[in-house]
Amino acid sequence: MAILSIKKLSKNYGAIRALNQVSFDVPPKTVFGILGPNGSGKTTLLGIVMDILKATEGTYEWNGESSSPAIRKKIGTLLETPNFYHYLSAVENLRIAARIKEADEDDIPRILEIVNLYQRKDSKFSTYSLGMKQRLAIASTLLGDPDILVFDEPTNGLDPAGIAEIRELIKELNRKGKTIIMASHILDEVEKVCTHVAIIQKGILKAVGSVREVMNTGGEAGATEAALLVELGAADLTQLRTVLDKMPGIESIADAEKGLLVVCPESLGTAAINKWCFENGVVLDKLEIKRKSLESRFLEITGSKSDK
Amino acid sequence: MIHLLKIEWLKVRRYTAFIVLAFCFVIGVFLINYIVYSVNKNIVSNVGPAGLISFSPYSFSNTWQTTSYATGFILLLPSLLLLMLMTNEYAFKTHRQNIIDGLSRGEFIGVKIMIALIFAVVSTLLVFITALCFGLASGTSFSMSGIVFVGYFFLKALTYNMVALLISVLIKRTGFAIGVFFIYLGGENFVAKMLDLWSIKIKRDNGTDLGGMGDYLPMNAADGLLTFPRNTISDMSKSFMPADYTWLILGLAFAYLLLFYWWTTKKFKTADL
Repeated sequence: MAILSIKKLSKNYGAIRALNQVSFDVPPKTVFGILGPNGSGKTTLLGIVMDILKATEGTYEWNGESSSPAIRKKIGTLLETPNFYHYLSAVENLRIAARIKEADEDDIPRILEIVNLYQRKDSKFSTYSLGMKQRLAIASTLLGDPDILVFDEPTNGLDPAGIAEIRELIKELNRKGKTIIMASHILDEVEKVCTHVAIIQKGILKAVGSVREVMNTGGEAGATEAALLVELGAADLTQLRTVLDKMPGIESIADAEKGLLVVCPESLGTAAINKWCFENGVVLDKLEIKRKSLESRFLEITGSKSDK
Repeated sequence: MIHLLKIEWLKVRRYTAFIVLAFCFVIGVFLINYIVYSVNKNIVSNVGPAGLISFSPYSFSNTWQTTSYATGFILLLPSLLLLMLMTNEYAFKTHRQNIIDGLSRGEFIGVKIMIALIFAVVSTLLVFITALCFGLASGTSFSMSGIVFVGYFFLKALTYNMVALLISVLIKRTGFAIGVFFIYLGGENFVAKMLDLWSIKIKRDNGTDLGGMGDYLPMNAADGLLTFPRNTISDMSKSFMPADYTWLILGLAFAYLLLFYWWTTKKFKTADL
């Protein structure tokens, strides 16, 4: 059973459609990344499933049940910015969260140790740096040892060492069997941490699946056939492009550093490309299968280099 | 609810504005009544022989009404505090975090309404104790007659708190909400005075007594129940003043309270946070 099942979720802000019929399932024990440019609807989506925003249409379920306060108590959530009482200390803020979640307050010192805030546990929240506030927010999500964690841009405001620590913490939590749902616009972060990903652009789900599936399949969400990314080289690149343009099955052709980058269905195969080029008068001097990065795939899907 | 109130206590116990305003209110209740007592004592001692204002506002049973009326002037303090507590939640976005962490929207706004009620109860208790002390100090014999005015005070305190809570839920930003609260208060009082004058004119011209129509407005309904005890001056003006339809005003005050309760909870339960 999916940990979170979202069905045709839409959200309008007046005339603006922030989410449009988004549907996907989050499998258990995964690190599920929700990826998209700024303003794509990631936070809106998480806000709806955490009950602070009202959906215009659609439904969602946690572990097959409609959302309720009891379910939210068992989910550790950091949404957008760290939200705490500025005039209270870290311990006092966590005590409030623990009381709401009905979590063990004696666990607070241990959790503050995990996020390296124990030394400043009695300092007021207002005196914290941005990174410390973020760490406290992450500490808050760990209260009650929840099986599901929801992070919205968890490494916001952290220095490189802090980012590495949080990444390691997320991986460690996942190794312990926790399901982590993480929204981010930092592609590298998602690729390094996530096992699954959903790509959203302008409120529309563009792709969803395991990171491997999303990187290898072509087209829109739901596509199943793996895609092949091949770098080709020849003495005359203009002629090579003309020949490839006419080849059935080639999905896209882009300039590479010393050749052309071609995307085609995996079933087409490199042998067929080589044969087609030879039969059309082009001798390839380079034919290399490239490993796709999530970044290249993301740009391919969203068709934009902005906001990455 | 006790569990939720304990959480609220964790939120406010180190909040400086809470400590300062609560202290000011407790001191203020005594102080404003002492001022009224002193002014009245001096007036009585100076013009008393002329028989103009020859009554003791803090003797039993006047003390209940006088203390309730006088304390009504500083009821803004607890309602302002409540407004700040609620708008702080919006400013820090902790209202969202509390919901995310597992409170229901109903629980969140329910406990704030409970605090409005507790503030009103505590204010009323302070009024009761102050009235009792001043009454006993006056040397007159104890009487519960007029205790109904302490009840009216409670209604007024609750109305002020519920208006403050409603404005904070609607406006969300502290400074702006405080501004709107004061503007509404001033605006409603101005309109009420105009309506009162109109009532007097209607009574004089047509002989129709519609009561003080200013008292039919939301905050003035609770205000209108609390007047200064009858004295020579008020008796002199009674002939041309509209009648006090106490039961009507009381009913209106309760109706407005229900309206504020419904509006506040509906807004919080249905809005995007």
